[in-house]
Order: sequence, then C-alpha cells, then structure tokens
Amino acid sequence: MKNLLKKMRLTAAIIITKLAVIVLRLLNRGGTTFPGKIALKICPNILSELSDKFRVIMVTGTNGKTTTCRICAGMLDKSGIKYIANKSGANLASGITTTLIDALSLTGKAMVRTALLETDEAAFKTVAPKLKPEIIIVTNFFKDQLDRFGELYSTLNYVRDGILSSPESTLILNADDSLCASLGQGVDNPVFYFGFADGVYPETNFSSNNDAPYCMNCSARYEYSSVTFAHLGHFKCPRCNYERPEAKIECTQVLHYDNLTSTVEIKVPDGKFAVKLALPGLYNIYNALAATGLGYLLELSEKDIIHVLEGFETGFGRMETVNVMDREIKMILVKNPTGFNQVLRYMMTQNNRCVVTLALNDKLADGTDISWIWDVDFEILSFMQNKIRFFYVSGDRAEDMAVRLKYAGIDEELIRIEHNENQLIDKILAEAGENETIYILPTYSAMLDIRQVLKNRFNLKDFWK
Amino acid sequence: MYKLTICHLYPDLMNLYGDRGNIITLSKRCEWRNIDVETVTVSLNEEFDYEKYDIIFIGGGQDFEQTIIQDDLMRGKRQRIIDAAEEGKVILGICGGFQLLGKYYKTQSGSEIECVGALDLWTCSSEARLTGNLVFECDFLKSQTTDGYVVGFENHSGKTYLGEGVKPLGKVIKGFGNNGDDGFEGAVYKNTYGTYAHGSLLPKNPALADHLITLALLNKYPEFQGLDPLDDKLENLARTSVIKRVLADKS
Ligand SMILES: [Zn+2]
Repeated sequence: MKNLLKKMRLTAAIIITKLAVIVLRLLNRGGTTFPGKIALKICPNILSELSDKFRVIMVTGTNGKTTTCRICAGMLDKSGIKYIANKSGANLASGITTTLIDALSLTGKAMVRTALLETDEAAFKTVAPKLKPEIIIVTNFFKDQLDRFGELYSTLNYVRDGILSSPESTLILNADDSLCASLGQGVDNPVFYFGFADGVYPETNFSSNNDAPYCMNCSARYEYSSVTFAHLGHFKCPRCNYERPEAKIECTQVLHYDNLTSTVEIKVPDGKFAVKLALPGLYNIYNALAATGLGYLLELSEKDIIHVLEGFETGFGRMETVNVMDREIKMILVKNPTGFNQVLRYMMTQNNRCVVTLALNDKLADGTDISWIWDVDFEILSFMQNKIRFFYVSGDRAEDMAVRLKYAGIDEELIRIEHNENQLIDKILAEAGENETIYILPTYSAMLDIRQVLKNRFNLKDFWK
Repeated sequence: MYKLTICHLYPDLMNLYGDRGNIITLSKRCEWRNIDVETVTVSLNEEFDYEKYDIIFIGGGQDFEQTIIQDDLMRGKRQRIIDAAEEGKVILGICGGFQLLGKYYKTQSGSEIECVGALDLWTCSSEARLTGNLVFECDFLKSQTTDGYVVGFENHSGKTYLGEGVKPLGKVIKGFGNNGDDGFEGAVYKNTYGTYAHGSLLPKNPALADHLITLALLNKYPEFQGLDPLDDKLENLARTSVIKRVLADKS
C-alpha cells in the first residue's frame, strides 16, 4: 500500500511537471525552475526516485562550470551517447528536477539515459547524494557570492559533503587548486586530477588576488614553485607536506597563444597530443583539461578528444558576440573577482578601440553584497585608457561601480552613468565608431535585462542560448 | 608637504569583503590633495612597529583565517595594538577586524576566545547571520554638507555588545548593527573606530574617510588646518542612491 502510494506520487509529480513545462512553453516562457518546484512539492524525494533511471555526470565549482559543461557535451556527442543537459540558469534542485522529468515519458521511462548536470555548489550537497552521479567534475573554488554561501570554506564543505555521500563516483578535480584538490584526499573514490605542469603557464601573474594562501590542514603559508593565476599553481605546505597532487590530465606546454586561441600540449595517461583551442583566455585551458578528463573516462580516442576540443568555439565563459549597426557587441557575464580579472586581461589583449559598459546589479542572483568589485583589479584598465572611448556604468549599483572606476585611476570625465537600458544601448552604439567593439560586462540579472532590450530592439532571435 | 603612513594589517588573511577598497580610498584621497602617502602591509610573523604608522587598518576574515592570526596576535601584536589605541593612533577595524579589537569572542559552545582587548566590547556567536545593507547615523559627521548617514553592507553571525569604555559609532537607521537589539552600530574609543559596515565602507562615505585622515594629520602635525575639499559628486551619488533604495525597501 505504501509503495503504491509512493508510486502514485511519483507518477503524479511527473505528469504535472510535464504539463507545466508544456504550458510554459506554449506561453513562450522558457520556465526551467518552476515545474521542478512543483514536482519537489508533490514528491519531495523525487530526485532519489529518479536516480536509477539516469547515469549522471555533474559539474560544479565556482568558475567555468558552463564552459566545462559545454565541452563535456561535445565529448558525449563524440561518444555517440545521447544525453540531456540543464541550462546554466537552472542549476539548483528545481532546475535539475525539471530537466530530468523533461526526459521521461509520461509513464516515467527515461527516453535518454545520460544526464549532464551543471550544479550549483550549495545545491550539490543535497542533490549529489540523491542522484548518485557516476562522474563528478569540480572546476575550482574562488570567492563568490559570500552573502549567500557564507565563506569560501563553507562552499568547499558543501561540495565535500556531497562527495562524501557519493563514495562510488569517479572524481575529476583541479590539482592546482589547493581547495579543490583536497576533495580527493582521504576518500576511496577513484580520482583523476587535471592541471598545468610546473612552470608552463606563460603569463606573469599580476593579480593581487589570492583566495587561499594558507594551508587548510595546518595553516602554514603555502610555498609555490609556480602560479598560474589567483591561488592556482604548484603549491606545497612546508609544515604538513600537503602538496599539489600528481595530475593524470596535464597541460605540459603552451606552444602558442594569442588573443583568441591557444595551442597546447596535453598529456593523458597513455599519450600526449597538441591541440589548438579556439578559446580566448588561458584560464579556459583548465576547462578544456577538465572536459578532457571526461573524454578520457569515456574512452574516447586521442583523435576524437582533439576533434572535440578544436571544434569548441562558442565563446569563453559566457561571451556572446553580436553585430549591430556595424559595431561588434561582446557581452561577457561577470560575477566574482577572479572571473572579472580574467575578462579584463582578455580585454587587454584586444587592439580595437572600444566602449566599455559595466552593469552591476545586487539582486539575489547577482549577490546582494557588491563589495567584491573592490577586489577586481580595475587599475589595469588605466593601461588601456587610450583604447577606451568611454565607460558606461549601469544597473542597480551603477554609482558604486562609477566610484570603483574613479578610484582605479580612470578619468572621471570618461565615466557615464545610465540606468535605463534602452538609452544605454542608444548611447553606446552612438559613441562607438564603425567596426569598433562594445564590451558589455553585466552581472547575471543585469545581463538578462540588457539581453531583453537587445533582443526586442534588433529583432535578434536567440543569438545566445 | 604632509605625509601619512597607512598600515594594512594581515591584508592576505583579512580581506574578505573587498576591504582593500578602504586602503585605496584613504590613499587616493590623500594623493588628490598632494599629501604624500605610503601603504605598508604587516602580516604573520612580521614586526608591527605601530609608532611608524599614522592609520592602522584591519579588515574582516573567514573563520579559518581568523584562527590563523589569533596566535600571531596574541604573541606580540596584541599589546602594541592596545598601546596604539591608547596613544590615540587612528585605527579602523571592520567586521572580523572590529570583533578582534574587542575583549573576547564567545563561541556557540560557550568557550571564550580571547581577543586584543583594545576596545571595551565583546561578541557572542549567534545562530542567525545578520546580513544586508546597513545605514546608520553618525553625529560627529553631520555638517552643512552632509547628513551624517553612513551606508555599508553587513554580514556577521556574531552579536557585539558595548561596555562602558566605548561609545557607539552610530545609530542604526536600517539593518541590524552590532547585535540587532540595541539599535547601535560600531564603536569608538579615542581615535579607534570599529564597525560591521563593509561595502567597501570608505569609498562611498567620503566624510568618514576624511574624518580619519584629518585625525591622523592632526596627530602628526598639530598646526594642521583642515583638508581641502574634493569633488565628491560620484561618491555622494553612490552614497545617497543606496541610502534611498535601502530606506525605501520595506522588508
Ligand atoms: Zn599544511
């Protein structure tokens, strides 16, 4: 009787959720979280119920989840594995539930068996034990949304808790990140580390940003034989000897890099190959390495892995490019100091004259505490002031951003505040010359607002997905 | 030419909420007035010779990092910080740095972690996190040009209580403040200031930044007449726009 009731609940949850998805689609509202919320209400244990139906691959970590997921999707395609994946905005329990139910028939049968799930770090703790993922990829840990997560170490512990209750999962972890690497210490899970070989990262690290300089076991200061960026590198604790673990997937040489691509040598357990990544920003090599780890576990041939890595070029992080009135608009999501610093470094490598727009919101999705903008190295922008026509600041906290720029040494005359998105778009298009670049760097909810305006104004249909 | 030396204590450990924005602000506002300024960092196992410094700053850290500096503080820096405060050095402690300047921190289990003790206040750990925008009113900042309102962001689980020996920094207009109960925020003793407001605090509260710079200059140059005004259009816009939004928010 009890079993029957359970089954009925599950069936009801599935049917109602599927109906909700259909209705929302008909209304042209791509609802990705609401249907899952209903399902969780009807059947709170639904994720556990669904776990047997799917083979789950989870990607979590603070930066690079979306890009890593996209390259992983390429690896699955290449293996001929049919899969479902969630949208990056739907990486909490509700969004994941929607995604999984969407892949079921009305009778509850999985029409696709594999699920590739980008998972929010805090949600990971509860979702992973229920879904029993076969593979868990963790990209890195940087300070991000402290108002929500509390502290960096609590974020790490959320993920650690999730992993401790998933002893069967194979882990793909960043060896160069002392926090991330620690997830593989003292567990019985099979672990594949990825990272850069000592000293091969070609850029000097001019950021002052180090989120974790002290040993998490014994509090001594780490010694580094090389640093890639932020706190990533070949660390070693002089007191307790905790050190960067050996990496099975490793970038052993950076053969060439320019502002759009890099050519690297990657070592896997049974060989080495060179590959040209059409991804700007050296930090994206980390995302490529993480996905290579998945390719390796899927037993893809070297040739196939290269094919996927070379074919991936939809942009970095979430850069989206669109041409409007002969001006190139590049929209890049920014959400924390490490990611923002990488975007600034990328901009430094570009030669075009440009207009820079910074849109800072403080809604829940953005993080309600905006103090992190003071950890971004805006000071380097003064090196490219001659290339930048104007800085536009927008969003709920435009004025805070304006002050940040002023104190970074940007000429106040170049800073313009514009809250109205329509007028903002008019102004930046008018200020940028023909064939010049317009950078729009928004936080999450500001990005949604600006996208909507661009979409309506220029009749751009889903140029970003 | 005037010269100030700013000491940033434990910048690698206590910079949780963009605290370096406060240092940037103090330096820039001196620079723009042709006041020579030098910033020195002092961290673990490094000498803290407070007499060399005119302004001493300590920011907030995560629990992990606060436990790391605990030993270092107690080993030698502690007494020097107390001496600096007694001698009237300008000191600013924010969030965790504010708590550390107090006498002790009482954990959930009831044990007391000893702190610097430069300020007569103490902090008790609480279940709830007090998080959100914070607006408070400082009488000493009121002038013809400013209302004395200070705005920042608070995020702390400790509740701080003030003893007889300190005065509150301000009255809470919106937010929790020291403990969410008595309506006060921060503490002042001589020239030592503590507050939960980060954000960063000083960039968009230029009156407070200038107040600290003025005190430091008066300490060093008794003949000092007062700061030249700066064009604070953007800073004040940032300050008033947040205050307006925060006060309009009914929640
Ligand atoms: Zn150690």
